Amino acid sequence: MMDENSHPLIMIHDIDYVYSNGTIALKQVSLNIKKGEFIAIMGQNGAGKTTLIRTFNGLIRPTKGSIFLEGENIDSKTIATISKKVGVIFQNPMHQLFSNTLEEEIKFSLKNLNLDKEEIQIKVDQILKEFDLEKYRKRSPFNLSGGESKKLATASILCRDPDILVFDEPTLGQDAKEINFFLGLIKNELERGKTIIMVTHNIEFTVEHVPRTILMGGGQIIADGPTQSIFTNEFLISKSSLIMPQIYLFKKELQKIGITVPKEVIRESEITNFLDNYLEGKSTI
Amino acid sequence: MSLEFLSAFKFLKKETFLHNLDPRAKLLLAITYTISALLFQEIIPLLIILITLLPVIIIGRLFKKWVKSVKGMSFLYIFIIVLNTLFINENGLSFAIAMILRISIMISAFSLFFLTVDPNDLALSLITMKIPYEYAFSFSLAFRFVPTIAIETQNIIDAQQSRGYEMQKKGIINQIKNLFPLLVPLIVSSIRRAFNVAEALESRSFGNKKDRTFYYMIKYSIKDWIFSLYLILLLTFLIFVRINFMLMPLWFRWSLPL
Repeated sequence: MMDENSHPLIMIHDIDYVYSNGTIALKQVSLNIKKGEFIAIMGQNGAGKTTLIRTFNGLIRPTKGSIFLEGENIDSKTIATISKKVGVIFQNPMHQLFSNTLEEEIKFSLKNLNLDKEEIQIKVDQILKEFDLEKYRKRSPFNLSGGESKKLATASILCRDPDILVFDEPTLGQDAKEINFFLGLIKNELERGKTIIMVTHNIEFTVEHVPRTILMGGGQIIADGPTQSIFTNEFLISKSSLIMPQIYLFKKELQKIGITVPKEVIRESEITNFLDNYLEGKSTI
Repeated sequence: MSLEFLSAFKFLKKETFLHNLDPRAKLLLAITYTISALLFQEIIPLLIILITLLPVIIIGRLFKKWVKSVKGMSFLYIFIIVLNTLFINENGLSFAIAMILRISIMISAFSLFFLTVDPNDLALSLITMKIPYEYAFSFSLAFRFVPTIAIETQNIIDAQQSRGYEMQKKGIINQIKNLFPLLVPLIVSSIRRAFNVAEALESRSFGNKKDRTFYYMIKYSIKDWIFSLYLILLLTFLIFVRINFMLMPLWFRWSLPL
């Protein structure tokens, strides 16, 4: 959870963004993100989630308002400079892969940091090992599967060691094994003090693992708070065109047969604990 | 780099004289103006040709879009001016301006075509020109994907910039090398999309019947004939001027004293 005394890492102050065709993508968005937070941004398609994360590294400059990174206004900074601190991993990995080999693909990201050759090679070896892509080192990125391409795109950002990682739909099209790998990666990065923001439609993943959720709708933030309180608020969830998590629906079914589960129980481990305790007290449900 | 100028090549449905013309008449317009632009390399005649396009643009209520398309190519204009003034000693600047006008005419003519021709009508007009349906459909499909490709290019630029890619690099070699991170993903995703579209079409029995019928057919009306006649007369006149160019008044051959 957020430490009240710490200084915001990203401070978004009353930003608007209007596309050239007149579409209002963001309207009066204000947001504070602190170091080490793990945040999910959710909402229906067209809510402004992707536009918002594109403002984090300067790809989109707000038409009104300001964005501060570590207390500094990013308005005058180039994307290349901001990208050293904010790494954005896009939804479609095919939008960035172009090299002949996986090794070259990673090297491209590092060369832009002006590192020397030895240092680049060490980092390439390290990241390929970390992502279990070593065996494909000399393979063309275009011969990888969808999940592996996503891994490579993530690796090519993570090797730059940015303080803030921003993922756009990281679990989309991923199988269970790949989602578990992503989860391990996130946990590792959080332990290293990184800040992680992700745009997602994956309700179950968010409920299980993400402490803070921001709901967006019509270019505005409609709710921002602990995931637990957001996903127990049926009004907010239906307003965002989302559905309630499976465990919440399960709780409702239990209620029908006379078992009242506390409101704050929303995660798998919590419901398991509750049921264990309940069954210890009663012989049958 | 903004790819917004590509929106000036995207069809917009409107009710104007220009929009209601047959696509073949508008294709003739694009071809006539392209040939006309290639006939001259002097500022005044090219400027006059460009001015003759203005009424057509205004009739089609496309002035803002046209300005955007011409403005969007400004990086190319700078490139033309720099190269011509550097490498052509005599009248380099005049030649550069003339080339900018020539390109502006061609872009304007094709922009008018793309802005006012519905992709479905384009396929139909090609079929009436005896082009096999498969090719006509492919052409109209390619035409429809221009805005999609523009969006995709922007996404590629964003993805590369997020890992430190810089758009502007010093030196021509570096600039050419710098295009690879953009062009390779664009080509690969375009090819993949082409395969996906082909599979989607085949799964809906595309090409099953050779003698297919159409929901509606387009006809060359009297206004299309009048417009085409105007274009042919204009082109004939311009060819006449080109042949007798030395007989034209001096102001017509004017160039900058540089």
